[in-house]
Amino acid sequence: MAQHQVNYLKDGGLPVALTTIDKVVNWGRSNSIWALTYGLACCGIEMMASGASRYDFDRFGTIFRASPRQAELMVVAGTLTKKHAEFIRRLYDQMTEPKWVISMGSCANTGGMFNTYSTVQGVDRVIPVDLYLPGCAPRPETLQYAVMMLQQKIRKEPASRAQKPKRLM
Amino acid sequence: MRAYTPKDDVQKKSYYTDRFWVAPQVPKYDVSQDAVFAADLEAIKAKFDVLDAYIQVNQMVVVIHANDNYAVLELLKNEREYPQLSEMSAIDWLASEGKFEIFYQMLSMAKRKRLRIKCKIDEKEAIQSVEKLFRSADWSEREMYDMFGVVVNNHPFMKRILMPEDWEGFPLRKTYPLQGDEFAAWYEVDRIFGKEAREIIGPENRDPARVDRYDTQRFSRLGHEVPFGTDISQGEPDTPLVYQEQKGVFMIEKFDAEKSVVISDRHR
Amino acid sequence: MQQSNRLRPFFENITFDRADNEMILNFGPQHPSAHGQLRLMLHMQQEQITKAHPDIGYLHRGMEKMAENMIYNEFMPTTDRMDYIASSSNNYGFALAVEKLIGLDVPRRAKVIRMLLLEVNRLMSHLFWLATTALDIGAMTVFLFAFREREYLMDLVEDYCGARLTHAAIRIGGVPLDLPDNFMDDLRKFLDKLPENIKDYEDLLDTNRIWLMRMENVGVISKEMALSWGCSGVMLRASGVAWDIRKEEPYELYDEVEFNVPVSDKGDNYARYKLYMAEMRESAKILYQVIDMYEGTSTELMAHAPQYISAPKLDIMTQNYALMQHFVLVTQGMRPPVGEVYIPTESPKGELGYYINSQGGPYPYRLKLRAPSFWHTGILTDLLPGHYIPDVVSIIGTTNIVFGEVDR
Repeated sequence: MAQHQVNYLKDGGLPVALTTIDKVVNWGRSNSIWALTYGLACCGIEMMASGASRYDFDRFGTIFRASPRQAELMVVAGTLTKKHAEFIRRLYDQMTEPKWVISMGSCANTGGMFNTYSTVQGVDRVIPVDLYLPGCAPRPETLQYAVMMLQQKIRKEPASRAQKPKRLM
Repeated sequence: MRAYTPKDDVQKKSYYTDRFWVAPQVPKYDVSQDAVFAADLEAIKAKFDVLDAYIQVNQMVVVIHANDNYAVLELLKNEREYPQLSEMSAIDWLASEGKFEIFYQMLSMAKRKRLRIKCKIDEKEAIQSVEKLFRSADWSEREMYDMFGVVVNNHPFMKRILMPEDWEGFPLRKTYPLQGDEFAAWYEVDRIFGKEAREIIGPENRDPARVDRYDTQRFSRLGHEVPFGTDISQGEPDTPLVYQEQKGVFMIEKFDAEKSVVISDRHR
Repeated sequence: MQQSNRLRPFFENITFDRADNEMILNFGPQHPSAHGQLRLMLHMQQEQITKAHPDIGYLHRGMEKMAENMIYNEFMPTTDRMDYIASSSNNYGFALAVEKLIGLDVPRRAKVIRMLLLEVNRLMSHLFWLATTALDIGAMTVFLFAFREREYLMDLVEDYCGARLTHAAIRIGGVPLDLPDNFMDDLRKFLDKLPENIKDYEDLLDTNRIWLMRMENVGVISKEMALSWGCSGVMLRASGVAWDIRKEEPYELYDEVEFNVPVSDKGDNYARYKLYMAEMRESAKILYQVIDMYEGTSTELMAHAPQYISAPKLDIMTQNYALMQHFVLVTQGMRPPVGEVYIPTESPKGELGYYINSQGGPYPYRLKLRAPSFWHTGILTDLLPGHYIPDVVSIIGTTNIVFGEVDR
């Protein structure tokens, strides 16, 4: 007779959790979102602040990387100008699949207050965007919220196959 | 009849100006009021033609001929202790007199004085570079060329600086619209995807006043009035805003407000 | 799944495949230690740079053009986005230039509040500079420390105007709000702790072997070069020119406060670092004095000039003419007199000047923003050759450039 009875049915009885592949892959993906430092303008400062001491994104698994090859999330933080547009596309292409984009701040969303000749009117004209984050500039808490929304989105997506193209281009 | 809008100046105009309104002037004072400036002006006058000189807001303004610009700045730098060219650029007067005005903002640390040298050139005329005297003019002159199309002679690298090299048009001219021309509107699409992608991507939305068509709380639909806050989405699904999944997240514990520490003094 | 696009590696005027030993390195425009969108083309012999070609304009948003299409008050929030590390100093420069154009004097309490904001912004900017430069060199701890203090200052400004980064806290003719109740206490608490904090940074960096190797005798700017390139602020003072606009051409209440202008004649990165640290201490000194000035000032916050400035809110709500005037000023905008001004102020980065040419209309005919960082970027052309690749990062760091300001 076993001295130590294990209640297999009770949660936490064994360090075993049963789940689907989709769920476990998405769990991994959603909780270690490595973001590309794409600070273009003012919002980039708030992005830095969210990586720094008070807001400390590292504890949520959101670690800023300097290289697109190591990143899966591009936080477009700031005004995208027409001169810069091709570089954002090139860096986006360099990121490995699966990849997501958060457009941070009004300028990246729609051009914002800079309704001028040299500003791209919304970064979604160049790369597909998953999440639009309003504000000028959004606070770090807002960015945190956006990352949580993105996590939710990732968990809803099927993980087992390659991502569908988000738009024609 | 449609109101006439001048094509040589497409900048925003005030929509109403009183017929009898006369704009006041920022007072201009005679240069003789300030001994330091008077001496500087004498030194310039001794060698060059001075078209106009006055003091405005504590700074002397000297108007000279455009072809004297290098020599005057050289004199100011070497003999009159103005070692820094803090700013230079152009002003577009093409609509009214067909000329560009170019100003050089000088600073003397020894005398604690600032003066402004101004000259005018025609649209097609070029101006002499002062880059040999002040290195700061290197970039300023490039910026001036980029923004106004004012060509600078003897400049080591006369290229656009702020706009891309293949840009068309000179943005700060009064004839250039704020929101750009056709070339500017499609620049990034043409550059990245090619002209054939224009149709797929579509034109830019330049309208900051675009409204949500289903919003009946902040906007009323003229001619199709509905009661305040009525849902007129006709069954289109709405995406609800949720913070985290209701059933919890796989292997993630929910945040417990009971167990958290509230920091009351942020300066602790 | 990617669709192909037309992007090919392209570099204007530069051939990459070369027969000689020279290598060309493309740095940016999106490089984590470029402090924004700086693109550098570096020609190199082995590790040494022979020619540097900074390429800017990746954040050119057309602010000068915007100004020509906006009434004066409308332009104020746009100035925030220039030097976004210290927005209030931009607001202030613009407000001061328009006030000089109109010939307006500001109530004393507004002046005190402006001084507070300016110096708090200077501290914010210097702390941010320290954080990012230290991070570029590899000192992660200093980055975390300095950001901690900076967050406190941002809280202070947030208490005042409600925004963390883009304040728009200064109006033409005064300030919009009085200080909140706890502002002075919080500020004092912060200032009391600041010397300790600065000492922390200095303990970590001052004699740190790596820091010294990366900073000392690197990026030496001679006096002639600094003057010729139109340098200002710390870049100029580190090269031995004692020129601080706050001291030499005092504006606001700077002639009433006691402070020193730290100067160095070394001209290298380390000198600039020391000056930034010294300036933080001076800012704290100024702030202590300004806190004492606040007491006893009258409660007026905006200048009285009905032709240009709206009346206080209470008057607008109660008096008919004030309401009418307000309506005209908001819909049509103020019309300053015909004339031109160039007003420099000492922003944290250097000489921030606004040249305004007014033709008597509600829109400026021409507005030129003289941003210090523009020339501090330009100087890289002459400064980088002769240095090694790792020095590039530390030199860019100590020039303290912000690209909102460089490209405008």
